[in-house]
Amino acid sequence: MMIDYQHLMTYFNESPIYIQVAWGTSLILAIAIVCLSVYLKVLRFHLRKKEIENKLLKSEYEALIIEYLYTEDELGDGHTFKESVIEQLQSAILIESKRKLIISILYNLTYEVSGELSDTIKTLYIKAGFVAHALKRLESKHWYIIAKGIGELSHFRIDNVYNNVSKFLDHPRLEVRKETELYLVELFKFKGLSFLNTLTDTLSEWMQLRLLETLQKFDDQQICDINPWLKSQNESVILFAIKLAQIYNQFEVQNTLTELLSHPKKQVRIAAIQALTHLYGIEAKEMLKANFNDLSLEEQICFFGMLEKLVMPSDEPFVEKYLFHKNFDIQLLALKILKSINIEKYMGLSKTTTNEKDSSMIELVNTI
Amino acid sequence: MDKKRIVLAEDNNTLSLLLKFRLEKEGYELFMAKDGKEAITLIEASNPDLIITDIMMPFISGLEVISHIRIALDKDTPIIVFSSAGQEEMVLKAFSLGANDFMGKPFSPNELMIRIKRILN
Repeated sequence: MMIDYQHLMTYFNESPIYIQVAWGTSLILAIAIVCLSVYLKVLRFHLRKKEIENKLLKSEYEALIIEYLYTEDELGDGHTFKESVIEQLQSAILIESKRKLIISILYNLTYEVSGELSDTIKTLYIKAGFVAHALKRLESKHWYIIAKGIGELSHFRIDNVYNNVSKFLDHPRLEVRKETELYLVELFKFKGLSFLNTLTDTLSEWMQLRLLETLQKFDDQQICDINPWLKSQNESVILFAIKLAQIYNQFEVQNTLTELLSHPKKQVRIAAIQALTHLYGIEAKEMLKANFNDLSLEEQICFFGMLEKLVMPSDEPFVEKYLFHKNFDIQLLALKILKSINIEKYMGLSKTTTNEKDSSMIELVNTI
Repeated sequence: MDKKRIVLAEDNNTLSLLLKFRLEKEGYELFMAKDGKEAITLIEASNPDLIITDIMMPFISGLEVISHIRIALDKDTPIIVFSSAGQEEMVLKAFSLGANDFMGKPFSPNELMIRIKRILN
């Protein structure tokens, strides 16, 4: 063995320098692989151990929380079972891993159950001291921790921390601002929309949908005055307010919507026409009819959509002018409108029309 | 008096525990399955008076469980289905396969108890 070792050393020493470097590198890599393998094995062992511990802890806390939710019994010494559970949770949440575990159980439950039980879960959340921890998260330097803290307060419907949360409406990160806006609407319903008064950001289509979805969950659908938002400098706020007017049948804002027909942005004007159609804006219809030639093509199509719903016999001369319009949508709508108000005149069209395209359109409208 | 037997097929362990606690308190004997496969085994072995199943479960879905009970086992055991938001189509399929009732999540356990009592009595 000794001879072999000496032989190897001699071979190494007599080898050219690049061979020596190659051997040295191989040796270092081999040692590194062995060390890393051992480290991974130890790490895996600890992770598995941790996972088993977490599973055990989870089932322990699950059982405790569920029993809390259903128990009203008192122990002999006057110390209620519920109080003892809260004390256990209060001490557990001082350890971050346990706090995360308990929060995940509470989240899980709130997704699955409603009614009186979800109120009890909220009470447990408050009594166990989670609110203070969520508020601590709001003091974090990291935006994602703040956003998560607001999300948690919103999820458990903690409405007495308005001042702590509303200050994040001006946070530099968009994600935090969005969470704050959702918190306000989720907990304060239409009153929570007051942030729209000062909003300078663009309210994305996705955010608008989320807000509308949240608002529709409430039993009380009594909406506040949306006029200030319809007059906002923020285009996205106007578009959102128009949606509100349409969804909540705000007939009283018809005049403001009519004013929006002369808004500099085309998208706003189109949305206003659609809302006025829904709200039976007869006056707006007459106004648009008078200025029809000044409208953009999209607005003209949209107006014909309005006319289809709000047409009166007196509109017939106007419609007749567009029966052979070069735009497909306008022609189609004009023919449909004529068919609905004067079927005889409409039937006569097929006899007098010689143009192949127009005949095809009439045939198409016949099938509708 | 014999306890009424209920098979609960639900992959959410916390919800299963919650319902187990409540149903056992009300005097029912509960058999819990964490997926459709286990549910079918339990149903075949325990011949329950009522089956409560979630629609979305690992291995075998709630719809397949209903289909197995009604077609393969040819049993008319009442079935209550749990569904989540956006699963309206699935609920309709569940009814066409033979489910008796459904509850959308999140649901009130008290309401579930009323429905169970109505079905079993």
